Amino acid sequence: MTDGRVPINILDPGDGGLTRGGVIGHLAIADAWLVDPVSGRSGRGSIVIEDGRIAELEWAPASASGPSPSVVVAPSFIDIRAHIREPGAEEGESFASGLEAAAHGGFGFVASMADTRPVVDRPEVVQRVLAAGAASGSPVRTRPYAAVTIGREGTNLAGFASLAAAGVVGFSDLPAATTDAAMLRAALSEAGGLGMPIVIQPDEPSLTAGAEANEGLPSTILGLRGASAAAEVSAVSRAVAVLRQVSAEVPPDVRPHLHIAHLSAAGSLDPVRAARAEGLRVTCDVAAHHLALHDGWLGGDRRWSWEAASSPWAGAQAGDPAPYHPGTRLDPPLRGPEDAIALIAALEDGTIDAIASDHAPALAVDVQRPFGEAVAGMSSLETTLGLVLETVDSGRLSLVRAMRALSLGPWRALDGGRIELPEPSLRVGAEANLVIFDRADHWIVDDVMLRSRGRNTPLLGRSLPGRVLLTIARGRLAWQDPDLD
Amino acid sequence: MTDATGAPAPTHWQHRHLLDVDILTRDELRTVLDLADIMADRRADTGTSRPLSGRTVATLFAEPSTRTRVSFELAARALGGDPVSLDASSSSLAKGESLIDTVRTLEALGAGMLVVRHPRSGAPQLASEHFGGPVLNAGDGWHAHPTQALLDLFTLRQVLGDARLATAKVCIVGDVLHSRVARSNIWALTCWGIDVWLTGPTVFLRGFEAWARALPAGRRLTVTGDFEAGIRDSAAVMALRVQRERLEGAGAPSEAAYAARWGLTEERLRRHAPDSIVMHPGPVNLGVELPPDVAAGSRSVITRQVANGVPVRMAAMALLAGAHA
Repeated sequence: MTDGRVPINILDPGDGGLTRGGVIGHLAIADAWLVDPVSGRSGRGSIVIEDGRIAELEWAPASASGPSPSVVVAPSFIDIRAHIREPGAEEGESFASGLEAAAHGGFGFVASMADTRPVVDRPEVVQRVLAAGAASGSPVRTRPYAAVTIGREGTNLAGFASLAAAGVVGFSDLPAATTDAAMLRAALSEAGGLGMPIVIQPDEPSLTAGAEANEGLPSTILGLRGASAAAEVSAVSRAVAVLRQVSAEVPPDVRPHLHIAHLSAAGSLDPVRAARAEGLRVTCDVAAHHLALHDGWLGGDRRWSWEAASSPWAGAQAGDPAPYHPGTRLDPPLRGPEDAIALIAALEDGTIDAIASDHAPALAVDVQRPFGEAVAGMSSLETTLGLVLETVDSGRLSLVRAMRALSLGPWRALDGGRIELPEPSLRVGAEANLVIFDRADHWIVDDVMLRSRGRNTPLLGRSLPGRVLLTIARGRLAWQDPDLD
Repeated sequence: MTDATGAPAPTHWQHRHLLDVDILTRDELRTVLDLADIMADRRADTGTSRPLSGRTVATLFAEPSTRTRVSFELAARALGGDPVSLDASSSSLAKGESLIDTVRTLEALGAGMLVVRHPRSGAPQLASEHFGGPVLNAGDGWHAHPTQALLDLFTLRQVLGDARLATAKVCIVGDVLHSRVARSNIWALTCWGIDVWLTGPTVFLRGFEAWARALPAGRRLTVTGDFEAGIRDSAAVMALRVQRERLEGAGAPSEAAYAARWGLTEERLRRHAPDSIVMHPGPVNLGVELPPDVAAGSRSVITRQVANGVPVRMAAMALLAGAHA
């Protein structure tokens, strides 16, 4: 307990106490800041959970006096994209460790990517993944994507109908780029008939072959092979063009759905906006690290993107953190601060639907290598909320928008109802799927707190806002801050 | 404070490693150069000061090199150290051992100083995080080659003299994009106050205009696609080695086209930079970057650059050894 900063006094579990994994019998939360993404309402209030459901919900009058409470109650987060390494590389992340990390990050649902061993490209593998999720013991819901192509090899379309029936959330070959436009056309058409999204990583490989970093001033100075933003922007434009064609050629009751994963470049936003304006079904997400971090981090800069925008990193200063931290090697790469600023604005204006964790845990042996040989990716389920709250605290993103992009946005992009995911709202009678966190309470990203097996993050040792006090999924306790025990 | 030879011992050398010259101040550059002057004079009379006496200096080269490795080994030996070399083809690195494991093994075997060359930018940084003693970067990827930049600056000062160098223009010609020599020279020469110009095929200048704009105030770096403007009135022109596999690549000129357009011929030098010396980090592709007559001619200081490599590396090693004494 840290000097009364964790206001346990507002959490009243009654006589029964709380049991991890167990249904919440009774929990009253007095005087918190409630956020309801569906109505867009936020304000002071109190909430009572009985037998795993929201039993009472009371909004305080706007005239309520005193400072706003720092404890926030919102629907638990829905992660539209995370890499769990089960089956095949459980030592990197199993569903047991991954879903505990998710719960620590405030997530009540995780959509896991298909890049496992074996690849999720047959119903038997889907069953295996769903069984592994259930066997984890975590109340956090999880469902996998299936691969677009068999083995994620880009040559033969997987059997979408049987995979859909087995319970996948959509189709994606991530982290491979979908480079064959004819394959994308067929996939959008086929998945559209099933009402499911195709999730792509927009990339033009001829512009990113061998790339180690964003092509920009830091890559020039650090001597790293650059991936130009044009690779992403041109791929977004091309995918939209293919979607336009498919949308025009399918029966009128079919609406092909393209979901673009982890936008990172400012220039990608215009084609997305244009596609939306003409009525195409395009959704997209951004990873929290592409909002708060920037390519100066590769050089040792540790400022947030909005702090670096006016004076981007232009070389090391004596005493700076070391450059080439492998945790800053990402795909797509961290871009310039101005890209991050544009992405934040696009979240605020609704162009970007969702914030994804893009969780990509890796073993130390795979990242403790020369920068260009390190496995790209970041262990991020547990730091997404902290980075989002830093963004909110910068004044560039409203809390309501942030909470919406972490719950309602992904729920809609995934057609949550279709996959039996309750709508993320604060509503009396609804199953309790809630996250309760303290905006004002910071925690240190370290071995004590992290539950993921991945330590590949440049945020190790950093203090982040938004300690998650409780995560409730399916009416059950998924996470409880150790200091609350 | 002086050491056994009467050389002024630097009192402000604070750096644990030499991974690049980017964070060195002008005073620190001068410290290295002044010490290198002393080392150059002293190489003949051996045995007076041996700051590396009893220390094993491991040179780990994960990329082929002859002159740089030999230069480091001679420098280590001249300071009393025991050089031990590991090269990529014979070392366990080639058998898949990680860089970190190799570095730890070298330390366990008694290496007290490590010289690293690696094809990946940032590899010496990683090595330095897992090695107990000082690490010197002998060239990493496209990133940095600090001792080359130091010996280039040393050679410039030696040939041009302090006064002329202070107002000199130096032009770097060629494949700047893929050049660690160019990057380290940009830091070192602009820090010294030299007016640095870059020129070459446009595809090889990508990104450097942005760097020029972002340099700290007072540093001068100009990027131009106009070869003649680049070399005009230069006190020195530094040709970069152009790798054959990079020519013929996307958008790059062929070897013959490169030589025709960017080759440093005597005729061009006489017309645009009549007083210029010619430098090259070696090895030279004769007839591509430089015609044979220029490489071997009176303007060329290429052999002197090679020779200066030893005292400059001695100075760097001595400073790092002192910092770790």
